[in-house]
Amino acid sequence: MVEKKDITRLLFSISSLADLGQEVTSAKSFNDRMKTALYVVTGMFSVPKAALLVYNSNQQRLELLTHKGFKDTAWTNIHVKAKHIKSFSKNEPYSLSKIKTNSFYNPDTAALEKFHTKTFIPLFAKDEFVGAICLGKRLSRPSYLQSEKNVLKVVANHIAITLHNSSLFRRLTNKVNENKKLYEDMRHIYHDTIQAFAAAIDAKDRYTRNHSYRVAKYAVAIARELGWKEKDIETIDVAGLLHDIGKIIIDSGVINKGTKLSLSEMSEIKRHPQVSYDILSKIRFPWRDLVHFVRHHHERMDGMGYPDALQGEELSDGVKILAIADAFDAMTTDRPYRRKLSLAEALHEVKNCLGTQFDSRISNVFFRVLQKEINGETKKAQILPHFALDKGFDPTVITTLLETITAELSA
Amino acid sequence: MNNFSILSKTINGTVIFMPKGYVNDLGAENLEHACEEFLSKGLKNVVINFSEIQYINSIGASIFTGIVQKIAEHDSMLCFTNMKKVHSDVFEMLGITRHVKVFKEEKDAVNFLNESD
Repeated sequence: MVEKKDITRLLFSISSLADLGQEVTSAKSFNDRMKTALYVVTGMFSVPKAALLVYNSNQQRLELLTHKGFKDTAWTNIHVKAKHIKSFSKNEPYSLSKIKTNSFYNPDTAALEKFHTKTFIPLFAKDEFVGAICLGKRLSRPSYLQSEKNVLKVVANHIAITLHNSSLFRRLTNKVNENKKLYEDMRHIYHDTIQAFAAAIDAKDRYTRNHSYRVAKYAVAIARELGWKEKDIETIDVAGLLHDIGKIIIDSGVINKGTKLSLSEMSEIKRHPQVSYDILSKIRFPWRDLVHFVRHHHERMDGMGYPDALQGEELSDGVKILAIADAFDAMTTDRPYRRKLSLAEALHEVKNCLGTQFDSRISNVFFRVLQKEINGETKKAQILPHFALDKGFDPTVITTLLETITAELSA
Repeated sequence: MNNFSILSKTINGTVIFMPKGYVNDLGAENLEHACEEFLSKGLKNVVINFSEIQYINSIGASIFTGIVQKIAEHDSMLCFTNMKKVHSDVFEMLGITRHVKVFKEEKDAVNFLNESD
């Protein structure tokens, strides 16, 4: 006949297993979940002192994860060798006296006694040793009934799986972090290489030193003002750095010629966006639109550009940005055949070419960036430093000019 | 713990705790800490009045197990009063009530402790 006490025990066990399931799957931190799990066990079997140990497979030792009932928690890590792990029955409770007869027990494992261990449960998930539970003396009878051992085994199995899952998650997180770092390192190398390429491109033309670098900076400033995502900003940055890579196949004599170019020389120069595209499209860049921006950076709104004579809305924003950034820098740097324009002259020139060479909306954003830089409203000025040392540079004049242009554009 | 609080009072050197609500997560450890604090002040008699406790689960049982252990370590006396049957059945099954004096009413426990002193 089943006694009332047995029914109470059975109901309490079922309810406690439900508590355990709920706790180990809760949204609490891992340490809180494991502490609560240990409390469920100690509550189920009225054990005032207990510890949950986690197995560190790299160090081959059991380390203290959480405990109940101890003031002094100076835990001595217990080394566990492979042969000992093999000797354990999975998630089976061992009395201390039984553990003492196992070769596992040595001066190192005497730390178990410091933690008042009366019962030791090696935790296994699948075939992997993941930790152990140390239970102290019970308030009720010292030994466990077979039925209690069975429940303890179920509980141990549950905790072992949680430890195992957490360990998998930790390993996965570490791997992800390692890969992230690797990716960041690669990215830096990638960017350094691209910058080196850009420097090599600009070195071909003694007049356009740092041209690619400035075009990239101007383009990034406009894209950022437009609210582009970081990944897209990175695309326009690299496009700015590499847009003239096709010039490497053009004769330096043509590039640096101080007089008017012949028709054939002009057509040679006009090949460079196509060549840039041909070179870059063979590289598997992580930036999808890069080659498109580079190919079309000499296209115009009126369709008079090259190489494809695109017009109007056939030009993407990236192309429009790169076009104005490139042309503006060309205007404001010395060329073999002319002196550079002042900032005010260049702004007039941009204004005069709105709707024909440049897109009005993107140009307006460019003017806004410049005005913000003059007002000191940007973290770091990208355009202004190029002109700050110019003779006769006056920010108030530029501000007035920008206001006039903007007003005209609005009208 | 959203539904747990503790009221306490001291009568003739006996501290009486009246926990209220659900004793079902680590928040209820405050009861164990409160007991420990009184014991460390040298108070020897602790009464826990269960009348306002709605629910105790295995985590709660663990906390009461801890209290029993601390009482024993301080060579003190612990009384439980106003226990619902469901709680006393579980505590009996767990062997907790072997280590405490159980009274029907709080005043019975206080009288017992006064007479013992």
